[in-house]
Amino acid sequence: MTVTTSRTTTTGSTGADGTRAAAVLGADEIARLLPHRYPFFLLDRVTALEPGVSAEAVKNVTASDGVLAGHFPGRMLYPGVLLVECVAQLAAVVYGTGAREAAGVSPVPPAADTAAEAGGGGEDDAAARVGYLAEIKQAKFLAPVYPGDQVRLRVQSGARLGSLIAVTGQASVGRDVVMTARLTVTERPDAS
Amino acid sequence: MTMTRDEATARARARQDLCGTVKTLLVDRLSLDVEPAVIGDDQPLFGRGLELDSIDTLELAMAIEEEFGVAITDDDTVSLLSINRLADHVEANR
Repeated sequence: MTVTTSRTTTTGSTGADGTRAAAVLGADEIARLLPHRYPFFLLDRVTALEPGVSAEAVKNVTASDGVLAGHFPGRMLYPGVLLVECVAQLAAVVYGTGAREAAGVSPVPPAADTAAEAGGGGEDDAAARVGYLAEIKQAKFLAPVYPGDQVRLRVQSGARLGSLIAVTGQASVGRDVVMTARLTVTERPDAS
Repeated sequence: MTMTRDEATARARARQDLCGTVKTLLVDRLSLDVEPAVIGDDQPLFGRGLELDSIDTLELAMAIEEEFGVAITDDDTVSLLSINRLADHVEANR
């Protein structure tokens, strides 16, 4: 199925079956898939998405981010744990859109003002499904991330058992991989 | 149908080897601080026993699938309860 949204830019990449075009999600669309809000809403844009399987996203690191005021004064450096959180949030985008697609509705909830006419489900179900970060199996921080860096994130969803989902993720700046992580996240068992 | 003594011995040895492989896999993948050989074949893996937790189930299921090519799904999580049950599951499905 083709993923379409109000701001969709369809790229040339397709899923393994050659039928699903990847979509780009803007920040407002991501916000309809996640319960996170300022100051903990970390993703700027999803640049590739195969619902339920994998995604890529962009996170711009800026000196005006409040967290950099404290981490650290005189030596601003994006916290590695927040890179892990970026991966976890992108994983929630992957399985949130995957669950919506499996339920036969559009992968991204429509905006509130168009939800009624689109009939694609409210904006709360996908965000309500997001569970918890259950385990950080492994994380490596290979290089520091500074204000001005554009972090490219990649997430691949792995095995599932019950409400547990294995996730592998990577962050890079330019050609350099700055972080790799293996996580376990959960879906809320009462929301599926 | 009866087994010859040699067949029975070979089967028992294969089962012992399989249980040993599963124990080593378990200890390696979950970074347990025990010797594989001291884990009992029927010892409960979760709660009291080996004290694995619910989050370990996913890693264990992934390890079994990677090592033996046998999937563990939501329907057969009872297979995760002991080494013998894991070995039964592997023998029945590979």
